[in-house]
Amino acid sequence: MATRASEVAIAAPALTPERPVTWPKRTRTRLSNGMQVVLAEAHTIPKFHGELFFRAGEALISDRSVGLAELTATVLRTGTAKRTSRQIEEDLRRLGADLGASAGQDTSAISFAGLSEFAEPLLELVNELAREAAFPEAEFERERRQKLEEVKLERTSPGFLAGERLRKVLFGAHPYARVSPSEEQVAAYKREDLESVYREIYTPENALLVLVGDFDPQAMLRIIEKIFGNWEGKKPATKEAPAPPQLRGRRVYLVHNPGSVQTQILVGCRAITRKHPDWIRLGLTNSLYGGAFNSRLVMNIREDKGYTYSPRSGVTPLRQHGYFSVSAAVRNDVVAASLTEIFYELDKLRSLLVPAPELADAQNYLTGLFSMGLATQEGLLTQFSTTELHELPEDYLETYRDKVRALTSADLQATARKYFDSANLQIVVVGDRAQIEEQAALFGEVEVFDNQGKRIGA
Amino acid sequence: MQIPIHGTTLKNGLRVVIAPDTIAPVVTVGVYYKIGFRLEPQGRSGFAHLFEHMMFQGSENAPKMQHIKLVNSSGGVLNGSTMYDVTNYYEAVPSNALERVLWLEADRMRALKVDEENLANQRDVVKEEVRVNVLNQPYGGFPWLDMPPVAFRNWANAHNFYGDFADLDAASLVDVQKFFRTYYVPNNAVLLMLGDVNPQEGLTLAEKYFGPIQAGTAPPFADPAEPPQTEERRGHVEEKFGTLPAMAIGYVLPKRRTSDWYAMVLLDQALHGGRAGRTHRELVLEKQIAVEADGGVDDVFGYNGPSQMTTRILHKPEYSAEQTLAAFDAVLREVQEKGISQEELDQLKVKWRSDYYSTLEGGRGGTMPRYGQMHLLACFTLFDNEPQLVNTILDGFLAVKREEIQEVAKKYLRPENRAIVFRTPVNKDAKEAA
Repeated sequence: MATRASEVAIAAPALTPERPVTWPKRTRTRLSNGMQVVLAEAHTIPKFHGELFFRAGEALISDRSVGLAELTATVLRTGTAKRTSRQIEEDLRRLGADLGASAGQDTSAISFAGLSEFAEPLLELVNELAREAAFPEAEFERERRQKLEEVKLERTSPGFLAGERLRKVLFGAHPYARVSPSEEQVAAYKREDLESVYREIYTPENALLVLVGDFDPQAMLRIIEKIFGNWEGKKPATKEAPAPPQLRGRRVYLVHNPGSVQTQILVGCRAITRKHPDWIRLGLTNSLYGGAFNSRLVMNIREDKGYTYSPRSGVTPLRQHGYFSVSAAVRNDVVAASLTEIFYELDKLRSLLVPAPELADAQNYLTGLFSMGLATQEGLLTQFSTTELHELPEDYLETYRDKVRALTSADLQATARKYFDSANLQIVVVGDRAQIEEQAALFGEVEVFDNQGKRIGA
Repeated sequence: MQIPIHGTTLKNGLRVVIAPDTIAPVVTVGVYYKIGFRLEPQGRSGFAHLFEHMMFQGSENAPKMQHIKLVNSSGGVLNGSTMYDVTNYYEAVPSNALERVLWLEADRMRALKVDEENLANQRDVVKEEVRVNVLNQPYGGFPWLDMPPVAFRNWANAHNFYGDFADLDAASLVDVQKFFRTYYVPNNAVLLMLGDVNPQEGLTLAEKYFGPIQAGTAPPFADPAEPPQTEERRGHVEEKFGTLPAMAIGYVLPKRRTSDWYAMVLLDQALHGGRAGRTHRELVLEKQIAVEADGGVDDVFGYNGPSQMTTRILHKPEYSAEQTLAAFDAVLREVQEKGISQEELDQLKVKWRSDYYSTLEGGRGGTMPRYGQMHLLACFTLFDNEPQLVNTILDGFLAVKREEIQEVAKKYLRPENRAIVFRTPVNKDAKEAA
């Protein structure tokens, strides 16, 4: 069934003329050691936000174990040649600063924010963490045990279990298939593993530093050169990863979560990287399908049918591949009904042209949303970082809105046909097997797993 | 750092607060009503939140789905949230949609128009919200839903704020209209505009769209005061999915804006300020009893009745609950006996000031700028009738002395001022040590 036709608002005031959207000027440069630097002013508050990225993460070292890059990031803040863990935390507080270190598939990063008046000492601390982390044995051991508890705990979260299974299905032998380590893998981590990951990944030639905030870029650049200029190191060699599988036909992967009072649905297929020329049109098509509150999927299975609170769809870009996915946590008795609507709305976009007013609404939504990032230092940092990390054209931010507005209904239909591959979509459901298996089986052959990821027989 | 504030009160009692800046061509609009889940009707637990959903279901000139559609198609985002003492509705839009958004907010303040079908639909949606956030999640609702019935005796503070499903089922359209007429009157609300807005233009538009709305009778508010507590309170809840034993310890806070409150908020930062906080440092980093130890005062400026500073601990199964609690108590005792150093206090103040700036600038998610500033201005207007506090309140924290921290630690961190909830896994893998 289609979403119920809605009445139209009476006399809503028209939009007034738009004010110009202007992105702040960026200072882009490269230090002689290869470290790339991007600086931009934003004088909203007397603070600045920054992130020091390294262009490698779990995928590069996945032949060794899973999660090593993440633990390396966690432990690097627990001691340097000059400071203990406690000193680091207290120094951060003294500078009014927040700091986090993390790693994903393609990047490792130290992110931070602090008062402008203490910019230099904060950058000195970041520099120390990036170059002189000591990986103290006791700190490593504590974080490893901590990680062990975390990996047990995450297996009780339906959202985690669904995401993990979909990634395994979509990426097979490719490193992107592995999102979290097993208990055995964590138990086998060695301190030396972290040190070698650190030496390999955390190098200036592999680094991108982005700073946004209340500072003068020229003065800031001098501070950066002073602090990071004498650092040396080459970027790691890249490796060829195995190709992900060719998936033909729909299959259902049921993760049995005993006692579940709801079912987490996650369906998906591989899509494209951020650099791909179709990225913007896929973004708009996704937004119209399930990426916005006002999207077709949300209006259908939430506002019309009340199956779920938080349905959404999204496109996830990784460096080598990407994927499209649709998620909804639904009542146990409407799993089949929800899947039916999810596919119905996908197929509708593949077969019928989007009416012009709906297209215009979606274009307005995406272009408007884009401007929100201008209002905060963090928002600007995110946009500048994305542009650099995904190697997008220099004028990406400035031209994005025009590119969205140039798309036609025919473009969207072609995009849906190309990427909303409904005949070959993979279906993950996490819930109580007894309540949902029959419903799930209507959509394809079912494989059942326990929450440890092991296959269960029929 | 000073926030420029322009404001007025319309004839119908609606307060209007405008805080302009020219950073980006974006404006954030909020309407706060002074009613939250604390004072929702008895026998209708969860109603304030269910009602919040109904506010997106249609008003006289903008039927169902039009509200969401008009904001999204203007390039903006919207949401609402129900808190203890206020409920908010907010939009961040390109500034050329300001007038349209004000029209929408005024339309639903003037004439909510919903039917049985809308109510049935949103009742289903809310149940799935409760399932996804509470019933089907490890540690769902812990401790925010587990703590109130243990800590408090007045129904207002002690009931299930998300709502028992039987109460949600019992909620009728009559309840919806009555709640709307009682609390959603302009004289019980504040309208806020932040960002790219000309103050004169904003005031004119506010008058144009909200001016014609009829004032209502001043809403009655039940007294949320608690009877005096004389001993520690404890409660137990089963954890269905998680593998680690957990506990939450809540201490009742001083009244907002008293000198004790300023000191208590900094003490909270000493105890819970991230990895440098004493609780995390002792329990997670040093003694390694806990996997998580965090928490604190949830919404420093946004409560207007009994509230707590709550520590949330997930500990390793090889430590008993009593051992864990003893380690936590030792952290508190150290502050009570030795106070904190001037150096530590100075650090806390720098960090607090820095965090405050971020609150003023920052958003909710990446797409809702100035949410924090809006929230502060709204609460200072509705609770204190003094939006200017946003520019002066920081001074009160920066003036706190070492001795005051130690004094509030002794005065408030006492067993007869606290409640403890133990959330224990039923999962067989997670046996607790004897």
